[in-house]
Amino acid sequence: MNDTLLARNVLALADDSLLLGHRNSEWAGHAPILEEDIAFANLALDELGHAQLWYELHQELTGREPDETIFFRDAADYLNVQLVELPKGDWAFSMLRQYLFDAYENVLLAHLVNSSNARVAEIAAKQRPEEMYHLRHTSNWVKRLGLGAAESHRRMTAALNELWAYALQLFAPLENAQALTDANILPDPRALQTEWENQVGAHLTASALAVPAARAPRAKSRSEHTAHLRELLTEMQEVARSEVYGVEW
Amino acid sequence: MTETEQLQAFEARIARGEKIEPGDWMPDAYRQQLIRMISQHAHSEIIGMLPEGVWLQRAPTLRRKLVLLAKVQDEGGHGQYLYHAAETLGVTRAEMIDALLAGRAKYSSVFNYPTLTWADIGMIGWLVDGAAIQNQTMLAHCSYGPYARAMVRICAEETFHKKQGMEQIIRYTRGTPRQKQMAQDALNRWWWPSLMMFGPHDATSPNSAQLIRWGIKTKTNDELRQDFVNKMVSDFHAVGLTIPDPDLYYDASSGNWISGEINWDEFWRVVKGDGPCNAERLQARREAQENGAWVREALAAYAAARGEG
Amino acid sequence: MNDSQWARYEVFEQERAGAPHRNAGSVHASDAEMALGNARDVFVRRPNCFSLWVVPEAAVFAKTAQEVARDDWYAAPAADAPRETYLVFSKKGQPARETFVEYVGEVQAATPAHALRVALETFPPQDVFVWWVAPERRVLKSEQADAASMFAPARAKKYRMHTFYPVEPIMRELKSAQGMLDNSEKTTDND
Ligand SMILES: [Fe+2]
Ligand SMILES: [Fe+2]
Ligand SMILES: [Fe+2]
Repeated sequence: MNDTLLARNVLALADDSLLLGHRNSEWAGHAPILEEDIAFANLALDELGHAQLWYELHQELTGREPDETIFFRDAADYLNVQLVELPKGDWAFSMLRQYLFDAYENVLLAHLVNSSNARVAEIAAKQRPEEMYHLRHTSNWVKRLGLGAAESHRRMTAALNELWAYALQLFAPLENAQALTDANILPDPRALQTEWENQVGAHLTASALAVPAARAPRAKSRSEHTAHLRELLTEMQEVARSEVYGVEW
Repeated sequence: MTETEQLQAFEARIARGEKIEPGDWMPDAYRQQLIRMISQHAHSEIIGMLPEGVWLQRAPTLRRKLVLLAKVQDEGGHGQYLYHAAETLGVTRAEMIDALLAGRAKYSSVFNYPTLTWADIGMIGWLVDGAAIQNQTMLAHCSYGPYARAMVRICAEETFHKKQGMEQIIRYTRGTPRQKQMAQDALNRWWWPSLMMFGPHDATSPNSAQLIRWGIKTKTNDELRQDFVNKMVSDFHAVGLTIPDPDLYYDASSGNWISGEINWDEFWRVVKGDGPCNAERLQARREAQENGAWVREALAAYAAARGEG
Repeated sequence: MNDSQWARYEVFEQERAGAPHRNAGSVHASDAEMALGNARDVFVRRPNCFSLWVVPEAAVFAKTAQEVARDDWYAAPAADAPRETYLVFSKKGQPARETFVEYVGEVQAATPAHALRVALETFPPQDVFVWWVAPERRVLKSEQADAASMFAPARAKKYRMHTFYPVEPIMRELKSAQGMLDNSEKTTDND
């Protein structure tokens, strides 16, 4: 019972990182300045790498190989939050989304390194140093854009108002996840949310950005998706599905 | 010292194998040739991110996605190293980028061809990065220190680019009929553009003699191209692919594979801006520059307000 | 901040503990903190780094041996001008694997030119082709506490290394099966 439940939760973590990395890879060759083009690609590579680690654990729990899970699964079965499937938007939107997600990953991983499940703890420990760097990078960017100029402030405010309710979905638990919290495998999402809101709220305020009033997540279930996910997957899976699963690429 | 004595001392340094460094005396023509070559090379790396970049979202496995993103990112890094090398000669990156976006600067014609199938990704790694390595291995011995050092860094990374491409194409030649067909089709389309990467024949290459005299290059365009053809023909034959050149033959006396004539009309047309994707490539760069303007300005304002930058 | 590309910062990279910091190139950045991060993202995509320094290009006083010999660059500082620490870098010799200026030590001086004059008296100038000096207060250094998040992650990205793709043995096998190996390729059989 716990294995199936854990597999679903691990898949949700994997899908979030995969799609965020996928979306951010759209900036490669198009970022505002060359150094940041390289830096942002690094963040995307890290997120894809983290997804890989979670898909490998998912395979250990279910027997399903990562590439089959990624390329031969339809939108209805993806368990990502809507936050990461949204189109990349402008630079303020992409950077702020990455920041909100990195802040969430940092509070999450700080708990997961102490998970009672050894594999979960091990994977979290691998990701944590990279995620600390992510947060340093993106929080600096949020501060510079928030305080930099009227135009950047306007765009950041618009992005924040759009993204906030989507970000809150990160703390909506999957069905029956309470059992994993009780077993000290995953942290209590309400506690995570409080930590995240305190940290993010303080940093946004220091960056002259007003924390939106919305309290309810944009979607409650990780099975609910926007039309953007189907479009994303159609493109992402096109080449893989031009042959049967198992062909070597 | 007179100008002639300075020139003699300069050429004696190059003959001794010394590197010329920023601040050292150099003939103005040396400086101008280097600025032209290095900035073109930098632009090629940056534009080179685009044809492969459009396949990042369609890579058929997670591993291929990681590899391709790392490669496209590396090309940006190469552009970064090269702009730095040119900057040491007294030109700014903003000036070089302006010249590119205004259509005044050249870059490698090969990036003006479209990527039509996923097999193009492997073929570009093998052929286009392979050709780049041929050229860059020579430039790592260039007499200008900053260019040589950029090349040393770049060559180490290009080897990864080439090998990941070879791995992919080798798999397809042993894969499904459709994969085999895709690999051959990609070779058919990329073979000639990659031969063109070495530039015009020596006889029609006005700068060649001086570049060699000053140690900027150590081999001519045709010599580099011949080395490349020899290596590639043997490699592609080994994996069972056909070189799309009916005139290709082996010359036993020289040990060289002699290829048919390059379509030079096409070469000059593409170099001068009229290739299949020239407009699209420059448009993508212009949009990135314009869409990023508010970002660069905001951060400049942030730093200025804090007395930095 | 005079153009669309921000200011330029010189980057010094230390490959392992105890090795000298060596100029790797430069990065554009809007401030020093960003320059340090950009240096990491640009120059440490592969595992080859222990520590990084960045310094605004405008704060570097650079002279080649040729320029030093001209002796038109020095003006003595006022006797009571305050001294500060300058870091000194030099390019020695013409090594086979081309490298540039690396850290050799520090001097106390009042001005950049003064720092170079003191450096010439302090460090052996034989065989030096390039000198750089920069005031230490303008140098931003990575913290050892951050090494795990700044430099260690490159190690996990094995797919960035060409050794991850063992294509050479496959090519040799294919060629030898078809009698295509020439002598130069045969000799590399066991590497
Ligand atoms: Fe992250
Ligand atoms: Fe490159
Ligand atoms: Fe490359």
